[in-house]
Amino acid sequence: MTELLHATVTILTDPVTMALAVVATLVGIILGALPGISSTMTLAVLLPFSFSMEPGNAMVFLLGAFYGSAWGGSISAILINIPGTPGSMLTQLDGYPLAKRGQAGVALTYALIASTFGGVVGWFGLVIFAPTLARAGFAFQSPEFAVLMIFGLSMLAYASPGSTFLAILAGMFGLLLGTVGLDMITNLSRFDFGIPRLQAGINIIPFAVGIFGLTEILKLLEQPIVQEKAATQIGEIWPRFRDVIKTWATAIRSSIVGLIVGIIPAAGSAVAVSMSYAQEKKLYEKTETFGNGNPRGIVAAETGNNAAVGGALVPLLTLGLPGDTMTAVLVGALLIHGLQPGPQLFTKHPDFIATIYVALALTIVLTFVLSLVLTRAFAKLLSAPPRILYLGILILCVTGSFAVQNALFDVLLMIFFGALGYLFTKLGIPTAPMMFGLVLGPLLEENLRRTLVVYGDWMVFFQRPIPVVLLAITAVVLLLPFFGKVRERLARAALEAGPD
Amino acid sequence: MSLKSIVVAALSALTLSVSGAVAADFPTKPVSLVVPWPAGGGSDILMRMIAQKTSEKLGQSVVVVNQPGAGGSLALREVADGDKSGHTFSMIATGFIAEQYGNPNAPTLDQFKVLAFVGTDPAIMAARADTGLKTLDDLVRKAKEDPGKLRNANDQPGGTSYVAASLMKLKLGIDYTLVPYAGSAPVVQAILAGETQLATPSVTDLIAQHEAGEINILAVAGVERHFLAPDVPTFTEAGYPLVTGTVRALVVPADADPAAAEVLGKAIVDALNDESFNKTARDAGFTITPMGSEEATAFMENLDKEMYPVLLEAGLVKVRQK
Repeated sequence: MTELLHATVTILTDPVTMALAVVATLVGIILGALPGISSTMTLAVLLPFSFSMEPGNAMVFLLGAFYGSAWGGSISAILINIPGTPGSMLTQLDGYPLAKRGQAGVALTYALIASTFGGVVGWFGLVIFAPTLARAGFAFQSPEFAVLMIFGLSMLAYASPGSTFLAILAGMFGLLLGTVGLDMITNLSRFDFGIPRLQAGINIIPFAVGIFGLTEILKLLEQPIVQEKAATQIGEIWPRFRDVIKTWATAIRSSIVGLIVGIIPAAGSAVAVSMSYAQEKKLYEKTETFGNGNPRGIVAAETGNNAAVGGALVPLLTLGLPGDTMTAVLVGALLIHGLQPGPQLFTKHPDFIATIYVALALTIVLTFVLSLVLTRAFAKLLSAPPRILYLGILILCVTGSFAVQNALFDVLLMIFFGALGYLFTKLGIPTAPMMFGLVLGPLLEENLRRTLVVYGDWMVFFQRPIPVVLLAITAVVLLLPFFGKVRERLARAALEAGPD
Repeated sequence: MSLKSIVVAALSALTLSVSGAVAADFPTKPVSLVVPWPAGGGSDILMRMIAQKTSEKLGQSVVVVNQPGAGGSLALREVADGDKSGHTFSMIATGFIAEQYGNPNAPTLDQFKVLAFVGTDPAIMAARADTGLKTLDDLVRKAKEDPGKLRNANDQPGGTSYVAASLMKLKLGIDYTLVPYAGSAPVVQAILAGETQLATPSVTDLIAQHEAGEINILAVAGVERHFLAPDVPTFTEAGYPLVTGTVRALVVPADADPAAAEVLGKAIVDALNDESFNKTARDAGFTITPMGSEEATAFMENLDKEMYPVLLEAGLVKVRQK
């Protein structure tokens, strides 16, 4: 506690540190908003700048960029339907339709409030529970992971709007896409059609940019471009307070999911947002539709995404275990400053841990304030003349796909998926389930097959507590609609039989 | 103060790029260092340090370009077939030697000219403390009681840690199950969570847990003991002579402009020998033992020769049988 106070005072009163925090957060937001530049890349590019800084300043600098970019990705997701980072893939499902309705400002503010809420929950999770929660991540081994993916996929399939059949079909196609490339267990290449580049698999970013960004442009081009008239209004910046408050339960649930998934090493933000979004979609399937600009969808994805940041730091600080590629870069930074992340970091360097806590809190506040100031400017981008706007978005689609792996092939992949997405939209096949299949499928396969290597037996799924519970819930989720129909039929039969 | 040092570094880089043009016509533009791994990994961090220092020595900026995919083979194939002017160089590691024989698209060692050797980060054999295993002999005894029962966490087939685990298996004359994970963090998670009893990552991955008494590092597969774990014997000391781990070397295409390759090679070797570079790299846990082009070429060729029978034995030779 005294360390926390001391660190707060030190950081807040040092002008250099504060300047670094502001610069890093801004750079993070901007790089995160650029499609194709992930949080990991942002950190890797900024890492060498931190070599010459003091350890404390280096952490303020890197955490600022980390958190800033996690939020920045949502800006492009909402405004132009292209996710800036994998963690913002689901924000656009509801954010972009809302922006298209002329409420870009509202959508951004919702996302900002939600991500800040998630960030704060993640921060408290980190500070209060870090030492006790660290070991909890170990409960998730290969069998648990495999079942978690099955759980997520089945919830997503049944909660999709429109035809369940088409949603499942699209999801299966996504799973199939996830099998492309070198097989993790045997190192043999699958479905590469003799194209060496496909050995690396289908990267999620060119896929998402194509299927959402490019498809959207193609759809927009169907309509004649209105001469130089602003197509989109920025609209209000502030949503109604009453509406924001209505999503409180979603915010809390999604933060908890994000925090937990963040703590599980190697799960990553894409999984965190998929899980929290799926949960809300399932819970409100009767009363609300998602994917049409429902603020609840934005809130679910954003709180999950940013709560995962705090969660990901838990195994890093307590066990020296990076939960994802972003925290792996932070490990590198710690090592360079002579700090070995691991069990002893807490006991040997409590002051440094406190610095990290304060740095994260500072960047959450800075991101909120800076973004609030900039929201109007961001949203204003949309009121550019359509032909310039579309051209700009197209350029971002191309550069974003290229930037992920510096590969022209990814641009071709993006164009392919753009065309495919357009075709699917015309046929009425939902494209979002495809993305879930591509994100969760490879993790499911890898963990399922590893489980069988380790335990050599399918029975293991029924002998461990977490898989049993998750499988039971999955079975209930899958069978409930069916039972509902049976009950309905029985009731109707009873009713018909009744009057006799 | 930190800001000041950034400004100073930026300014000095600027003045160098103005005054530092040494050889005739190389470099004429920024040089690319193609890292065949994603941004943020261990090799990536080390390469960024090397790029920074080489840029100072070369008087021209060196840009790191990450081109991950298929165990590094995709990027290396493009480098081998690409720019011959010396403005593009890349990095090969242990996995590259294995990929030559496992992936039909991978380039081979003779398609590159080795400019410099960076160093070897030795692999380790680690066991959970609750297994009671403290030495390699303990491990051999336990594994012989129940062959194949122990599980080892490593990366995917052909990866450094997988190759190390296979080599150790042969050298120790025992059998354990190799369980593949996607990279070093999941490997560490696996042994800490108890999904496997053994793991074969590098020293930095598990040194903190070793010091905390949770994990026992049984031995280091280095030429000498590792500076981060001076209490841990080498495989050779323990009676099982074996050196393996992440070997890193910098390369240009075999038919790159020789004059340019010489200038670049010299700048890289200077950078690797630089005192401040050595300190930063060592602090981050990297072993730096620089070698020039000739020595490095011989080293890599020898490594290739030594690894082949092991890869054959481990079933990793699928193409280009010798």
